[in-house]
This record gives sequence, structure tokens and C-alpha cells, in this order.
Amino acid sequence: MIFTIFKKELKDTLRDRRTLIMMLVIPTLVFPIILNVFVGVSSSFSEEAAKKKVKIGYVGAPDNYISQKLNELPEEMGKREIIFYSDTATLFKDLRSESIQIGMFMPDDFNRRMTRKEPAPVTVFFNATDMGMKDRAEIYLEEIQRQAKENRYIEMDLKESELRPIEVEYQNIASGKEMIGKLAGGILPYIFIAFGFLGCMYPAIDLFTGEKERGTIETLLTTPVRRWQILFGKMGVVVLSGLLASTCALLGLFLSIEVFDLVKDPELLNIIHEILSPTFILMMYGLLFPLTVFFAGTMIPIAVYAKSFKEAQSIITPLNIVMVLPAMVGFFPGIELDAVTAAIPVVNIVLATKELIAGTLDFSLLLISFGVMIALAVLAVTVSYKRFDKETNVIM
Amino acid sequence: MIEALNLRKEFVLTKQQRKELNTTDKLAIAVNDVSFTCQPGRVFSLLGPNGAGKTTTLRMLSTIFKPTSGSIKIVGVDAIAHPQEARKKMGFLTGSTGLYARLTPNEVLKYFADLYEIPKAEFEQRKEELYTLLDMHDFQGKRIGKLSTGMKQKVSICRTMIHDPEVVIFDEPTSGLDVITAENIIELIRSCREQGKTVIFSSHIMSEVDLLCDDLAIIHKGEMLFNGTMASFKQEMQAENLTAEFIRIVNATQNETT
Repeated sequence: MIFTIFKKELKDTLRDRRTLIMMLVIPTLVFPIILNVFVGVSSSFSEEAAKKKVKIGYVGAPDNYISQKLNELPEEMGKREIIFYSDTATLFKDLRSESIQIGMFMPDDFNRRMTRKEPAPVTVFFNATDMGMKDRAEIYLEEIQRQAKENRYIEMDLKESELRPIEVEYQNIASGKEMIGKLAGGILPYIFIAFGFLGCMYPAIDLFTGEKERGTIETLLTTPVRRWQILFGKMGVVVLSGLLASTCALLGLFLSIEVFDLVKDPELLNIIHEILSPTFILMMYGLLFPLTVFFAGTMIPIAVYAKSFKEAQSIITPLNIVMVLPAMVGFFPGIELDAVTAAIPVVNIVLATKELIAGTLDFSLLLISFGVMIALAVLAVTVSYKRFDKETNVIM
Repeated sequence: MIEALNLRKEFVLTKQQRKELNTTDKLAIAVNDVSFTCQPGRVFSLLGPNGAGKTTTLRMLSTIFKPTSGSIKIVGVDAIAHPQEARKKMGFLTGSTGLYARLTPNEVLKYFADLYEIPKAEFEQRKEELYTLLDMHDFQGKRIGKLSTGMKQKVSICRTMIHDPEVVIFDEPTSGLDVITAENIIELIRSCREQGKTVIFSSHIMSEVDLLCDDLAIIHKGEMLFNGTMASFKQEMQAENLTAEFIRIVNATQNETT
């Protein structure tokens, strides 16, 4: 009987365009779109910044060392135009109006100080809202500094290596997989959880509040089916929809990598392949299942109680923030799965998935996380049952 | 046969409901000590103004609501102790019943046939009979959302009758329907009587009641005001027509209570 109801509700749900968009289309497209935009924006931004001709204004002696060297730097380091200013007031004015992008001030005795091997100061003015200009100035000045140092070593007959008594080398022992897992691993479960929630939302409202609103529930209740069987049949579809939405997000990630070829870095690609192993996917579903049942179990009592689609939506939408916001914890690199975080619902799933990606998951903590989610899922189902069994809730 | 004895239904009022109803009472009595019997092969009509308790009574008979006290027997089955058994024997149709708009008539009927556990061959035969009777072959595969009100009503009738119930409960079945569509329901009720089924229907349209019913009960504010045959009702009538008599009885109780 449960399966008869499940089958019918699934067919009904799959024919609802709104649910299909939320459950299948958006989750599938999210990864390709995010990655495409990210790759496109970052590459075009760096290309544009490199191509851009930078106007550098300076106040100082017309023949000063820095302005001369700036002119001599190769064009591959970016096109530039060096403009002389007689006073800083005009320089600031032009910098503010963005007629020039970088301003420099060198005292009149700059060249003399250089000759005397005294520290020669340069003040760089920049507008922090004009992205990348400070970096440009740093690149130019570091190059000029390097050349000046090199000349000085020769003049003073010194070897650069002798001025460096200690050679320090830093080596990272974390694997690429671990790095991605701990630093960026939170994004993956976050997206699965967010879409799992959204995937459950529309079917939950449609199958409970919708059935009440359309007046079909009354007839269903006069059939020889027990209420818990109706509840379980419908709940099965809600849970499946949530899992399908998460699966579509995973499919979108797979398409981005394998079909649309959006990840170019071969090292990163290898790591991603290593992460997305069948064992990982299986274990992640193991964690997502009780979470999705928990989501369904919290939405169903609301959907049963609400008198209209609009009312149900207005209650469940804020619940989305309460449920999915903790999933953002995974974005912070410092927070890890321990005995405390393993007991916090949603957070535990995100952190466990992160550890799973990194390959550093502690089995006992996984069991606690899983146990907590199972207990909450059972509780949510019990609350749903109580609500659905209350006759005044089911009938308008 | 339906046997309802001393039915009572109370609802706990929420704060919001108490405010809306302007009352301090924590309970609302929707139906109070209502008893009646509906015989096979006869049409029993439950009459009453809006809010009289008709729908609550029929929902108790159909086991959607559990009575606070009293007993119900549907074809000899205790509907309170064994609701699943009782439901197998009854069909339920209301004027406000919706249908699954994204499914076709064929799919809806198959769904309900499965819920009633009707064997496949029996279902196919029954479906064919109903489709022929109601001239439904042309739209059996179309989505219900795309059907006219009349077509939808025919699907509702099929859905109610697919398991060939012994008892049929109609809750204001013609409300909101035009005369032509309502005629399908009237025909269905007549046909049920001819087949020896027990029929109970609620209405506040006296012309419909006059046309169909053999026995009737009038309820108002949850209390039974009249219970007898149509013939005895007409005999005892003090007003000039049925509608006037119905209004007279309801008003007389209203005046007694105020």
C-alpha cells in the first residue's frame, strides 16, 4: 500500500514543472554555471589587468632614478606611461579622478641619497578601489629594487649568497586532497545540503498542503489505507526528491569536470578525481540520507498544519535559513569534527563530509554524527505522524 | 445499512478560534446525540443549514473523524473499532472534492482500485462499465486539469463507485455545479437506490431532497430536529411547501434557544 501511494505521488511530482525545475534543473546547472562564471571572471580580470595601460604620475626631480627605471622596464611587465607632476596637489586630484592610476613621490635629493648609499624614500599613492594597481606598483618597485641591489653588490664586490646565512625551505606535508578537503571541502556538502532542502521543500508542500488545498485528501482518507501508510508513501517521495536534487548537483559537478572541461589545472583535476571515488559517494549518501529524512520530517508537520501553499512556503522558507545556515560552518577552515560538533545536526554532516574528502575521518565520530542524525530523523518522523494523525490538521 | 447511535463530536477550540467565535468555551460541540438508520435500497437525506453539523456527521460515518462518543455500524461493521473494514464497504463523494489534476482518469481510477485492492480483471470490467455508462471513453487518457467541470464530475463518480460500494455517502454533492452536471449526480443516486445500495446525502436544497429522498433527518446546531420518512414529513407539514417547512422548523428551534 505504501508503494502504491509512493508510485502515484512520484508520478504526480514528476509532472509538476515547478518541482522539476527546483529538483532537477537548477541543481544540475548550479556547478557548471558557478565554475563557468568563476573561471571566466578570474581569467578575464587578470587578462584585462595585464593589458591595461597604467598611468603613473610622480613628483620629484625630472631625472630621478625611479622614473628613469620605470621607463626602462620591459613592456611585458605591462604598458605604462610616466607623467611628471610639479606638485602633489595636482597629482592627488588626478589620482582621485582616475586620470592616473598610481602616484609616486620622491624627494629632490633622491638620486644623491642613492649615490651615497643612504635609504632613498618613495611614497606610493594608490586608490584601493581601483583593483590591482597597488600590486602593479609593487611589482615595478620590487624589480627596480632588485636591479639596484644587484648593481650595489657588484660595486661593493659582494656575493649575494654570502649575505644570506640561513637558507630556509618550507615543505607542506599535507596532500592536495587533504588541502582541498580541509580548506574548500565545506562547499561540496553545503551545496548538497542546500539543494537537498530545496528538493524536499516543493514536494512536501505539494503533497501535503497541496492535497489539502485541492480537496483530494478527504477522499484518500476514506480509502482502506491507514494514515501512517499514506504518510510514509508521501514522505518517501519527499525524501527521494531531496536526494535527487543532491544527486543532480553531483551530476552537475561531474558534467563541469568531464564534459564541459571547466577545471583546467591537471593537478587539481587529479585531486578531484581522487576525491570523487565510489566509496566517497556511497558514504556521502549514507550521511545525506538521515539528513534528508530529518529535513522531510521537519517540513511535513508544517505542510500538514498550513492551510495554503503560500502559508506553508512562508513558514518553510525561513526554516531554510535556520537549517542550511549551519552548513556554512564548513567554510571556516579551523572548525573540525570532534565529540561536540559531531552532536550538532547539519554541522556534523558538513564536517564529516569535509573529513571524508580529506581522507581523515575518525570512524567513532562518524558513528556519533550518523547516530545523532538517525535519532533526529526518527523524532521528526514521529512528529510528522502525530501531526498527520490529528484530524483537524488534515482536513480544512 | 448505516446505523448511527448517539453520535457526538467535540472540537477543542484554539485561542485563535475562540477569539474568532467570540466565545470563552474551550470546546465546540459540532454534533450532539444524533441517531439515525439508513436502509439499503433507500435514499436518506441529511438536511440542515450551513454549519448545522451535516459534514461533521458524514465525516464521522466515513471514518475521517472519530466520534467523541456514540457508535457507527456500516453494513454491520463497527466503523470505530475497524475503520479499514468499514471503508472497504463505502464510497464517498463531496461537492468540494478535488481530483489529481496532473493525472489522467485512467491513472486516478487505477490508483483508487489499487488502494481498494480490487483484482485487475474485476477493475478492468468495472472501469469499462462505468466508462460506457458515463460516456467517458473519449477523455480517459487526458490530464484531469484539462477537463471540463462536467467531465471531472464524471471522473469523481467513477472514482467513488470503482469498488462497487454497498454504502454511498454524498456530502452536498451538487454544490457549485450547474444543472446539467448536477444531473449526473442525481442519476447516480437514483441508480444506487435501484441497485439496493444504502445512500446518504446531505443537502440544503429542498427541491433535490424532494426529488430523491425516501427518508430524511433535519439537524441544526448539531441537534436532530426531525428523523422520519419523507411521507411522514409531508404529512406533518404545517407550512405550504417543503422549503417553507424546513425554514419553519429551523427558526422554531432558533426562537426556543434565544
